[in-house]
Amino acid sequence: MNTRRRHGPRSNEEGVYLGPSQTQAHLQQQQHAPADAPLPYAPPPADFGSGSCRDRTTEFQSVCRSLQSRQNGLQPSKPAHSPVRQHSDFTLYAKRIGRNLSNTFAKLEKLTMLAKSKSLFDDKATEIDELTHIVKQDINHLNKQIAQLQELVRSRGRQNGRHQQTHSNTVVVSLQSKLAAMSNDFKSVLEVRTENLKEQHNRREQFSQAPSQYNPNSAHNFNAGNSLLIQDESKQPGDVSINMDFRASQQMQLINEQNSYIQSRADTMQDIETTIVELGSIFQQLAHMVKEQEETVQRIDAHVDETSFNIEAAHTEILKYFQSVSSNRWLMIKIFLVLIIFFIVFTVFLA
Amino acid sequence: MAASVREKQTVALKRMLNLNAPILKNTTAEPVWKVLIYDRFGQDIISPLLSVKELRDMGITLHLLLHKDRDPIPDVPAIYFVMPTEENIDRICQDLRNQLYESYYMNFISAISRSKLEDIASAALSANAVTQITKVFDQYLNFITLEDDMFILANQNKEMISYHAINKPDIMDTDMEIIMDTIVDSLFCFFVTLGAVPIIRCPRGNAAEMVAVKLDKKLRENLRDARNSLFTGDNMGSGQFSFQRPLFVLVDRNLDLATPLHHTWTYQALIHDVLDFHLNRVNIEEASGPEASPAGARPKKKNKNSYDLTAADKFWQKHKGSPFPEVAESVQEEIGTYKAQEDEVHRLKSIMGLEGEDEGAISMLSDNTAKLTSAMSSLPELLEKKRLIDLHTNVATAVLDHIKTRKLDVYFEYEEKLMSKQTLDKSLLDIISDPDAGTPEDKMRLFLIFYITAPVPPSEADVEQYKKALLDAGCDLSPLNYIKQWKAFTKIAATPANYGNSGVNSLFSRVMNTGSQFVMEGVKNLVLKQHNLPVTRILDNLMEMKSNPDTDDYRYFDPKMLRGSESSIPRNKNPFQEAIVFVVGGGNYIEYQNLVDYTKAKQGKRVFYGCSELFNAPQFLKQLSQLGQK
Repeated sequence: MNTRRRHGPRSNEEGVYLGPSQTQAHLQQQQHAPADAPLPYAPPPADFGSGSCRDRTTEFQSVCRSLQSRQNGLQPSKPAHSPVRQHSDFTLYAKRIGRNLSNTFAKLEKLTMLAKSKSLFDDKATEIDELTHIVKQDINHLNKQIAQLQELVRSRGRQNGRHQQTHSNTVVVSLQSKLAAMSNDFKSVLEVRTENLKEQHNRREQFSQAPSQYNPNSAHNFNAGNSLLIQDESKQPGDVSINMDFRASQQMQLINEQNSYIQSRADTMQDIETTIVELGSIFQQLAHMVKEQEETVQRIDAHVDETSFNIEAAHTEILKYFQSVSSNRWLMIKIFLVLIIFFIVFTVFLA
Repeated sequence: MAASVREKQTVALKRMLNLNAPILKNTTAEPVWKVLIYDRFGQDIISPLLSVKELRDMGITLHLLLHKDRDPIPDVPAIYFVMPTEENIDRICQDLRNQLYESYYMNFISAISRSKLEDIASAALSANAVTQITKVFDQYLNFITLEDDMFILANQNKEMISYHAINKPDIMDTDMEIIMDTIVDSLFCFFVTLGAVPIIRCPRGNAAEMVAVKLDKKLRENLRDARNSLFTGDNMGSGQFSFQRPLFVLVDRNLDLATPLHHTWTYQALIHDVLDFHLNRVNIEEASGPEASPAGARPKKKNKNSYDLTAADKFWQKHKGSPFPEVAESVQEEIGTYKAQEDEVHRLKSIMGLEGEDEGAISMLSDNTAKLTSAMSSLPELLEKKRLIDLHTNVATAVLDHIKTRKLDVYFEYEEKLMSKQTLDKSLLDIISDPDAGTPEDKMRLFLIFYITAPVPPSEADVEQYKKALLDAGCDLSPLNYIKQWKAFTKIAATPANYGNSGVNSLFSRVMNTGSQFVMEGVKNLVLKQHNLPVTRILDNLMEMKSNPDTDDYRYFDPKMLRGSESSIPRNKNPFQEAIVFVVGGGNYIEYQNLVDYTKAKQGKRVFYGCSELFNAPQFLKQLSQLGQK
């Protein structure tokens, strides 16, 4: 159906991918330059990671070596750049924060595992408390460091190129979001721990038959804002007081019970209030951060469309201008016509 | 091949973004920040798969086009994801000379040739940057995945491999070679990513056969080369749970020209047909505000909105293949459930307000706290749901506008009847001369379908009459010339495939729901009956090893066999479990939807659909008119 010409120029359009000119297996037959003759071509071993790509790094390095050896024959070799470039202090600082962050993450994971263990008697309360304290301190510290980093970025704003500035800002934002995620996890771990303590206490209550003092250990008060200060979160963890002497101390106990009951209820309510306030502030912080990022659902080709739209608008504006210009032309033509008519009239008069 | 090709491509991309190291599920790893640089090909591949947020999660702080001006960022590593063309290599060498970044990780979308590698090496040597180039990889990702089981070849240079380019009468041998090479390269990348060597079947005597021959040769060479083979190693481990190899069916667009012109009724295909839909992104123009001045000197400001239809959008995943009235109903349902959840949150808020001061039981308070907490944490979900509902409402409204103004339901019904050879209740001439029943393009499409599917070509007088009516309606008649040529040609080769023999029930319904926003007055509520398009039927025959005069003389290629055989006797007698259908010359969503429906009907089979380019009916019509004008 298609008539085809036999010989034609092989067009080689710019910027259009034309397909591979040679495959890997044919490289031996198609040695590119005669200068390559002294170097025996060793096909790279099938060195690719798990998956569908091929690592050409060793091949590349062997090519570089061969080219270099050829160049060395022609001219003295230039001194190589020191491979260790001087990192800016921004990068060093950011890397340090990143490392601290990952360490704190590891600690948080350990804490999670400890808090989830629900054994009744093997309560590693002291460990958990210590670890909680350490993690809380770390989070505070990281917060301050990130704030410092942000200050550094802002002060350097004028010196850096546009892309460098965007890069720095993005780094700071991502560190902040990681920290926010971590503090969220921390909060949930503490809540889990509270639940577990309550359960433990209830079970102990079940096993011991006398009612014991119920001290809710949910006294994890969080302060609002960035710092997660934890006040003394461990009141007495449910000391089981089994009273052997029932009769005499029962009345005493009743009164005590009532007092402590009311007290405990007041405490719990306060705890809950502060927890809610803290939750609210954390959510607000997160929302603020999310808004800063503002690109959660965008795609990378979004900006290209924007520019094309702007170009279209500019085009229409130019067309408008052209129209107005051509309408000016019409006026000029009319004026010229009138002038010419007058000229003719004058010549008729004079002639 | 249990994972879809989209997941495989995403995993490969993520591994590349992780500086070519396998990804560990470790949240305690130290974050490394990098910059991503891509060209237009890379942009097309990445944008349907990874959003900017996911890139940020992987540590990419900046993503830039290769050919834009870039400032130096001297202490971050840079990942390049480009196609190995001359231009790109030149730009990379320039970057190396300008010392823009700390280290360079080169990832080429398709295999880079030795000479270009040497170019980069010499530029690196002259810039003393050899140690900075940390890795060079061939990624073999030269195709774009749009859905879990649908892929297309490149979007950027699609004119080069379009239907028009392949079928134009003055094409030269060398051009054809280039086109074939491009297609084969992309298909090869696809199979490498999939990790399986298929069995290839194709019809005789057209572009599909040429592609099949080349692809078979390429796969065979790669398998022979035991050291370098891409199909051994860990890659195959995951792919060999199914002991079967997939079936790869190559067809040519010339097999079936009516389907691309068909008017459609399913959601995704409608969006592609009627709105501007590229790479899973819809662009809707909404005219906002009245005309500024009657002289028309100032154009109306149009609001351009673009929406992404992604895999995370559950509504979209569920309904992209449903007929349009169902979609409208479902949107209404979603709005209802969303309102209910919103009311729930409001109610909780009021309860908390009332009982906050109360000395009520501690447990009730803590319960409500828990409820409030859960309500607050579900707030982002609710907001996301609302955004999706708004998105779909806008899109569906835009589609509905088009349907109403162009009376697409009439066209759809008529074409279904034509394609299934039922009796027609309205004459074709009536519809064509109806002034307010659609654009001239719609009428041309209808007439072309009529011409293609008519078992006996209409007489000259009839054709003249139709031509006059079409010219009155303002249509361009050049596609008709081409279709005449095509019909003459295919008559020699084979009888044109028939389109199935089930029909369409149409029920009249004026309003969908009493509270519905989508008042579909006068739009018929058409119910689709299942019928198979030609491509689906061919696939069915080949997969089930049925004997059918159409498909019996298809060629058979098996790259794993020791010597290439010219015989076309299939050695494999079992039905296949997996298949890949590829249409050379262009495809569309109607065929894809048909295949998806076919797969759903059969248990345990997977079908992938691919095409060299994706066009909707107006674009295809343009190509046909270009061909007809020659």
